Amino acid sequence: MIGASLSRWTMSYFAAALAWLFVALALMVAGIGYPAADLQSADTLVLVHAVCIGWLSLAMCGALFQFVPVLVAKPLFSDGWALPALGLLIAGLVFLLAGFLALGGRLPAAPWLLPLGAILLAGGFGSIVVDLACTAWRRPSGAARFVLAGLFSLCATVVFGSIFSVALAGWAWPAAEAVLESGVALHAITGLGGWLTLTAMGVSYRLFSMFMLAPEIGERRSSAALAPGALAIAIVVVGGAIAIGRASGSTAVLSAAAVMGLISVALYGRDIVAIYRGRQRRRLELNMRMAVLSFASLAAAVVLGGVLIAMGTFAAHLGAFVFLAVFGWLSGLILAKLYKIVAFLTWFETYGPVMGRTPTPRVQDLVAEQRAAKWFVLYYASVWVGTVVLLLGEGSVFRIAAAAMTLGVFGIVREVIRTRRLADVTRPLPVGAVAPHLLFARN
Amino acid sequence: MSEYLDVDVRPILRAGGEPFSVIMAALESLEPGQGLRLYATFKPVPLFAVMADKGFAHSEQPLDGGEWEVLFTPAATKPAPLPAGMAGANFDDWPEPAIRVDSRDFSPPEPMVRILAAAEQLGPGETLSALLRREPVFLFPQLEKRGYRWLGGFTPDGVTYELTVKAPS
Repeated sequence: MIGASLSRWTMSYFAAALAWLFVALALMVAGIGYPAADLQSADTLVLVHAVCIGWLSLAMCGALFQFVPVLVAKPLFSDGWALPALGLLIAGLVFLLAGFLALGGRLPAAPWLLPLGAILLAGGFGSIVVDLACTAWRRPSGAARFVLAGLFSLCATVVFGSIFSVALAGWAWPAAEAVLESGVALHAITGLGGWLTLTAMGVSYRLFSMFMLAPEIGERRSSAALAPGALAIAIVVVGGAIAIGRASGSTAVLSAAAVMGLISVALYGRDIVAIYRGRQRRRLELNMRMAVLSFASLAAAVVLGGVLIAMGTFAAHLGAFVFLAVFGWLSGLILAKLYKIVAFLTWFETYGPVMGRTPTPRVQDLVAEQRAAKWFVLYYASVWVGTVVLLLGEGSVFRIAAAAMTLGVFGIVREVIRTRRLADVTRPLPVGAVAPHLLFARN
Repeated sequence: MSEYLDVDVRPILRAGGEPFSVIMAALESLEPGQGLRLYATFKPVPLFAVMADKGFAHSEQPLDGGEWEVLFTPAATKPAPLPAGMAGANFDDWPEPAIRVDSRDFSPPEPMVRILAAAEQLGPGETLSALLRREPVFLFPQLEKRGYRWLGGFTPDGVTYELTVKAPS
């Protein structure tokens, strides 16, 4: 078959991801983990993994289960893996976080928790990687290449993390100790820079020109942005492994990767500006307007990183830099796109069977953008305030910013649920159309 | 797994390119028992011998405008019964489009709505022709579910996607 149908479990992934986002926000509001604790503390590890695995990775996987088949115009390699993988990921994350809590003395010591969590996470991510990579490989061009590079980075991230879990469990393995000693930066870069950022870049190339009726960016140009990004990840993985093996320090590796990453982001930025400029649709939908704020955050993070390095205070302000990249760039973009994706998938699931036979609402009729806009603005504004507060070292004020972020996300999620429930559609449901389930697609 | 992997080399040929490597790459990605459905701008006679060496029987059908659809079937298996949609269509008997839809200036999913609405207006066996800006991947399963057959591809400029839909007779 040529074509794409609805992904059954994308909504389930989104729901789980948003639940984890609330967990992470609650930790920040409660003052658990950074900035109340050190970046290296066990509490911060809990927070970071709730955000990166629970929220960002689950949301990205859910989106990819729908997006990769659209990209290659072929069905998913296997429909049966998505739900078990979600179960493995959630279970693995729970054990991982419990392991970190035990590490910090908040739970009784249980060294096996971390490796068990790592095994479950590797199983979940592994089956997702196989499923998505085998699908993307059916037409490995354009955006699909970004996804493949992102999936490779995800594998590297999981391998680093699994080795850490063995080292932290205290199981005697000198090589694992060495990796833990100097590999944390590599783990973070392959995860945030490779897996999440490269994939988000690839997805946005396609979605943005589609939503704004802009000419597609040519294969050669998008590959030019991908190549330095993929090279940066390759440098981190290969160079990092060599540097650890020789115990020679990873400064050179990180510098080379940073330069390549910067080139990649710059070329990507040029292409995104071209898409916005070349659009035929003058009036932008809310998700595209909000995406602009994410790009502004990405650009601000790049500038902030450069300034901090120039001032020699990057290490001291690493937390603020990562916070801006994670919540301004990645989380903001995912929230904005999730808002649109849920509306489209809900519309297609509900009205697809009767489309053309009877008048149906437009996708835009499922959302109330004006009402949603204020929550997005509150979210981004509090992320930016939070970044400034972190730079100034005002930990208690940061909790207020986190509370404002929580309120913003709460408002956005409420809108998304209303969309899913068709609460803003004034027209009665046509004969033959079925209202969707909140948490999965009926197909 | 579908019985045939679709390979459309018409854009490559129109652009003056050499499609042989693409065909061979597609051949390598076939699963056991799977065949290849090739769309070309001419009857690819030289390929028949190459494919016979690799154990594929061929059956070709002319399309409009001198183009050809060729089914390469692994010699061990019989040609599969032909499903709806693009698969196995004999395009000889497709009449001139009764309806033309230009949805290039509409953003997704508006083109899908317009094409489905137009398709509902077709009489038995009639066709419609639609212009789009991208491959309407969500539309294809909808058309097939409703019993329509379709044929689509990018025009030589690589920007416009031309889709022809035929109502069930």
